Amino acid sequence: MISFRHVTYSYPGANQPVLQDLSLEIEDGEFVLVVGKSGAGKSTFLRCINGLVPHFYGGTIGGTIEVQGQNPILSSPREMSALVGFVFQDPEAQFVTDTVEAELAFAMENHNVPQATMRKRVEEVLDQLNIAHLRHRRISTLSGGEKQRVAIASVLTLEPQVLVLDEPTSQLDPQAAEEVLTALQKLNADLGLTIILSEHRLERIVQYADRLIYLPGAGYPPIEGTPREVLSKIELAPPLIQLGRALHWEPLPLTIKEARRFARQLQLSERTPAERPKPSTSPEIIIEDLWYASNGHPALRGISLEINQGERVAIMGRNGSGKTTLLKQIVGLLSPQRGRVRVRGLDTRHTPLEELIKFVGYVPQDPNALLFADSVKEELLFTQRNHGLPEGEGIDEILRLLSLSELAEAYPRDLSVGERQRVALAAILAARPEIIVLDEPTRGLDYLQKKALAHYLEEERAKGHTVILSTHDVELVAASVDRVIILGEGEIVVDGSTREVMTHSMVFSSQVNKLLRDDRYLTVEDVLRDLP
Amino acid sequence: MRHPVAWVLWTVSSATAALLTRNPLYLILIALAAWFVYLVVGQSSSLARSWQGLLKLGALIWLVTIPFNALMIHHGTHVLFTLPKNWPLLGGAITLEAVVMGLVSGFALWTLLLIFAAFNTAVDASLLLRLVPPFFYQAGVVASIGLTFVPQMLLSAQEIREAQRIRGHRFRSWRDFLPLLMPLLTTAFEHAIQLAESMEARGFGGGLTNPAEETLLRRLLLASLSLVLGGLALPLLWEIRIFGELLLLLAGGIFFYALYRVGRHVQRSHYRRLRWTRSSSLIALSSAATLLGIGLIYSVDRAALTYYPYQPSGLLPPFEARIGFLLSLLALPGLVSLFEEAPSASVPLQTQGNGGERSA
Repeated sequence: MISFRHVTYSYPGANQPVLQDLSLEIEDGEFVLVVGKSGAGKSTFLRCINGLVPHFYGGTIGGTIEVQGQNPILSSPREMSALVGFVFQDPEAQFVTDTVEAELAFAMENHNVPQATMRKRVEEVLDQLNIAHLRHRRISTLSGGEKQRVAIASVLTLEPQVLVLDEPTSQLDPQAAEEVLTALQKLNADLGLTIILSEHRLERIVQYADRLIYLPGAGYPPIEGTPREVLSKIELAPPLIQLGRALHWEPLPLTIKEARRFARQLQLSERTPAERPKPSTSPEIIIEDLWYASNGHPALRGISLEINQGERVAIMGRNGSGKTTLLKQIVGLLSPQRGRVRVRGLDTRHTPLEELIKFVGYVPQDPNALLFADSVKEELLFTQRNHGLPEGEGIDEILRLLSLSELAEAYPRDLSVGERQRVALAAILAARPEIIVLDEPTRGLDYLQKKALAHYLEEERAKGHTVILSTHDVELVAASVDRVIILGEGEIVVDGSTREVMTHSMVFSSQVNKLLRDDRYLTVEDVLRDLP
Repeated sequence: MRHPVAWVLWTVSSATAALLTRNPLYLILIALAAWFVYLVVGQSSSLARSWQGLLKLGALIWLVTIPFNALMIHHGTHVLFTLPKNWPLLGGAITLEAVVMGLVSGFALWTLLLIFAAFNTAVDASLLLRLVPPFFYQAGVVASIGLTFVPQMLLSAQEIREAQRIRGHRFRSWRDFLPLLMPLLTTAFEHAIQLAESMEARGFGGGLTNPAEETLLRRLLLASLSLVLGGLALPLLWEIRIFGELLLLLAGGIFFYALYRVGRHVQRSHYRRLRWTRSSSLIALSSAATLLGIGLIYSVDRAALTYYPYQPSGLLPPFEARIGFLLSLLALPGLVSLFEEAPSASVPLQTQGNGGERSA
């Protein structure tokens, strides 16, 4: 059993505690999902379980914690590692060796486990996670989902009783996330392993959890209970739950299957779908037969498409399908090896980047690549100076639009992932680009932050700006994108309106659309609008 | 893959030979042997690709150094052309001998680079770490991770540069480095923290948990440091140097004893047993033969290895069959790898899979 009694913790130098008087219990064999807004202390709570907090981070801690009879505040993370396995968010950043088998053995070697036992455990774990075929592979050649399963395997070799995972699927595409979650469910069911996991995209995982713990932030008691109980009370909820709550469905359905019973009785008026305003037909970006290979590996193969002014386009597809490469071609960072990319009539091969960035803005996947200044405001001013624009013009409006006004003087690196993402976006918008390109803008964002992003995209449309984004987030796409392009191995597999594509896809489809299978309904708002 | 000790011997032997001779014919032989080994073992290693870039860069630096040598050194009898005498440093005769000397010196350095490329692609860093004594183990792991950080840093540097360029960033003064440097440093630092957390959560680090032992260790290190200071100060005050040297020796002894005590607390097991195979013996023996042979020739008949294009020697390098034979033995690991079917001493590696992942 795991118990927290009156735990209060502050990071070194922090004015406010992250956890305040936190008390809760987790039974053996439970599958617990920890949710909360960005910055609510989810990661800190998880790190208390194996002693990384306070041993690795320092700071001050009060109260008592007990994990399977051990006290992680007194024991070191090393001692706790035999009891608690910990898997981190970024699959890239947690590997020590370069091959799968060596990585699996690393923890056992540290614990001086005899060689014969190691052999046996490696075999078992490889089978448990269904990765025996990867055993001799180099980690750098694995896909995201495979990497995360190897990371889980590498802590399971110590035969821990508790497995803690900090947003393990946030950087994975939907298919890879499914692989990881299915593996976790199996471990929980077959081995009775206690699993504690934090996640923002609840729609992916809520059906697997026995219990949900919502951390509202320091000072407020956690809300605990079955997923149904907790989700009926909290603000952060996936679209299906939002719909169920709005229509007073009882018991609240957690899965599409559970919701179908209610959906059948829905009486929706046969109004014509609220067509999203058609963008103009003047093509702003024209791509003709674009081919590109990096390091001899074909990344884009014969892409042809046109994007009109004012369109909001989502590029989707598995990790490695060429999304980022296509975005970089559009902004002129890469040049076609064959074919042509024209942005507002300018051929990217013959146009200097300085010309293109007068109207194109690009926010990279990792907001950290942009942020360097001492304050959020300074980041925006830097972009304006670079573009020779009058300093400070329109900055207040951008900050307000992205809910950053209160953080204007904050140090960007101190902010949460979601806030940094918005600062990066603000820094690009400061140049007032008319074509905005966003690479995976929803990584690490909670539902409220995503809603703010959707709202921003709506405003951009009102201004007639073109937005192109690559994302795995079907709900964001459903809420605020006109057109979806799905890439597969560098080729366009599907290109159509969001409604059309979602209704005909099993994977790239929003929860509401999966439930109703009707191209008029992609979001909760679509359904509510058509209620009699 | 063969036992890492065999590879270490091969590397020491090849590098020593490359350092002891400037004879271009012998250097070509060493380079050919190393190139052959690099190509054969590199087939199964993704590391080989990353070394390719470095080798190309090395070749470029080599080409640049040739004119440098030729322009700076004006001795020799084969004059190619003459620059005006009043040009500082550069003025004077440009000779064929100087060009040849620059060519050979650069080539020797590039050969060394090639030898290390072959060694690095052949031996897994984690296997090499096992040869390190226990008390250096942790430092070794940190160093090996440090090395893997370099390619990662280069990748993030590329991303940061692109992101800032799109933001309109241009170089005008030294201050313009900041938007590139700051994100690079903070990203690398955050990455390092994550990795350290992941290692600690899997039981790495152990070390001393007994407070009494920790106190003893501190005292030992303090004693060692005091003795070093004493040993350095004593000869200044007193004429007899032997006492100072004795103190330094004692300090060294205590220091290593302290390391040994720390090492005793690092208890690790190994997943794979390193096996010494017949081909390991073959490589080790042939490398030892080259090392001994070249070492012997160097100490008895040093002139046999040297090359001097200036008078009274000639531009044409001499060649001795016995030296040629010894150096050609260095190609043996490549031959062994070609004819051997299954990898034998360690984890077999498969590099090409269908799940090649790129960030997208």
